[in-house]
Amino acid sequence: MVSALDPEIAGQLAEDLPPAVFRRIIATFETDLGRLTAELQACAVTANADGYQRAAHSLAGAAAAVGAIRLASEARLAMDPLQPEAPATLLPRLSAESRLAIAELHSLAQA
Amino acid sequence: MSDQRGRILLVEDTPTQAEITRALLDELGHAVRHAETGAHGLAMALEWLPDAILVDLQLPDFSGFELMRRLRAEGSEAACIVITANGSVNVAVEAMRQGAMDFIVKPYGKARLKVTLDNALEKRALKAELSAVKQRLNRGRFFGFVGSAPVMQAVYRTIEAVAPSRANVFVTGESGTGKELAADAIHKSSPRAKGPFVALNCAAIPRDLLESEIFGHVKGAFTGATDNRPGAARQAQGGTLFLDEIGEMPLEMQVKLLRFLQTGSFQPVGASRPERADVRIVSATNRDPLVEVEAGRFREDLYYRLYVVPIELPPLRERGEDVLMIARHFLAQFSKEEGRHFRGFSREAEASIRGYSWPGNVRQLQNAMRNVVVLHEAETVEATMLPAMLLRADRRPPVPGRLPEQELATGLRAPPPGPSVPDYRPTEPPPAPFIEALAAVEKRAILAALDHTQQDVPRAAALLEVNPSTIYRKLAAWRAG
Repeated sequence: MVSALDPEIAGQLAEDLPPAVFRRIIATFETDLGRLTAELQACAVTANADGYQRAAHSLAGAAAAVGAIRLASEARLAMDPLQPEAPATLLPRLSAESRLAIAELHSLAQA
Repeated sequence: MSDQRGRILLVEDTPTQAEITRALLDELGHAVRHAETGAHGLAMALEWLPDAILVDLQLPDFSGFELMRRLRAEGSEAACIVITANGSVNVAVEAMRQGAMDFIVKPYGKARLKVTLDNALEKRALKAELSAVKQRLNRGRFFGFVGSAPVMQAVYRTIEAVAPSRANVFVTGESGTGKELAADAIHKSSPRAKGPFVALNCAAIPRDLLESEIFGHVKGAFTGATDNRPGAARQAQGGTLFLDEIGEMPLEMQVKLLRFLQTGSFQPVGASRPERADVRIVSATNRDPLVEVEAGRFREDLYYRLYVVPIELPPLRERGEDVLMIARHFLAQFSKEEGRHFRGFSREAEASIRGYSWPGNVRQLQNAMRNVVVLHEAETVEATMLPAMLLRADRRPPVPGRLPEQELATGLRAPPPGPSVPDYRPTEPPPAPFIEALAAVEKRAILAALDHTQQDVPRAAALLEVNPSTIYRKLAAWRAG
């Protein structure tokens, strides 16, 4: 199975930063994910396209920053106003990618 | 490559990205502050004055480009580095166009961040250094001096170079070129700046009193010495003693000054014991000191003691555009003092000011500007408002270092002949018991004071114990009448 993380980015971060700092970043990322996923869902329900795209943009940025490349790609799809996929299709996939990325980051932190 | 530590402001709204960048910056040893919005970033940049700002392009309130525009408008000198997820050429070009020093594409690691920041900080430091050097080479103000002519830049640099040392300085230059200003600038930029600056004009003190003025006296040393009185040497303890017109110092006094310079000790008049004083001497003359030595009027050994670092102040006629810069400075100053509304000079007035040779140098220009401000009121100084000698300068070859005629000394127009101005001749005794009108007595006193001071209005005013503007007003009134 292809990793949820880009090993160069996530691995470099783990290498550049003290373990405690790296763990703190994962915690911040988790909080970000929770907040932004909730925002995406709320915007999808209320058909707030602008808010949906803003939340997706932030999620893409956060994911890319820790090397969660597959999650970042899904978020970029949500950012794209021309993308044909409905939130109902995309959001579950995005949540699944989030869980995978978090799990792999925790593994990396323990390595 | 440098390894600088700096103050870095991060403007980034995504918490994960911000947390990572903060952590990397901490690891690199920089001081970091973080703002989540453009407005917060702007306020923080202006208050904290960071060396570099990492600017995310997409911020909640306005774009990173807008933030950079506002920073520039506010005069921020921080190096801006754009951080963006979009690494396209268009974004890079726009970032540079908006004044970014560099840009980083997200995600970025520690090494990339380090190289970018090191380059930006080094470039910024070089820019600041270049700007400081340029500023030093083109200074328009230096302590009390106004002027940016290359000859004055050389004077400023010499003063800065000599100020920290203990070396005695000898200032030469024509009357009115600012010798005391030079001495004052040396004092203020020296480690003695917190000590006293004592100025003594050797030409203005009677020969018999000069020793007492410089070294002080004890009670009973001579008739009238009713108390112990410290001299300038003791008053200048820990500071600077400026001896102006030192060429006028009598030879016997020169010996005593030489001894003071050699030993650091002096004897007040009438005292039985010597005293010590730690004083830096700055001396000045408007004569050629070597000519004075050759003529036997100035001791050679004292000359070499004092003439350690010479500073020659150029005459105003050799300072190019400085003459207008100084004229504007005085115009603004006197307009404010006198409640006038002058804002500048007409082209013709500027040409006249430029074309005149100013034999009395800055002091004469100062007096001419005072004359214009006191006698006129307008927004622009027209050529016709200027003292007459400026307008007929081409017919009057100047005599450098001397004020060729009374009216040249102050820039005053000569009062017209006729009954409105009495033909005052101090040699003619006034007719005995003759009662004059008070106004006539006043006029006579003013003209006598002007005559005595070679038309130097401020000095005449000081002798008469009135404000110079009083004299200018009287002259104008007589002329009008």
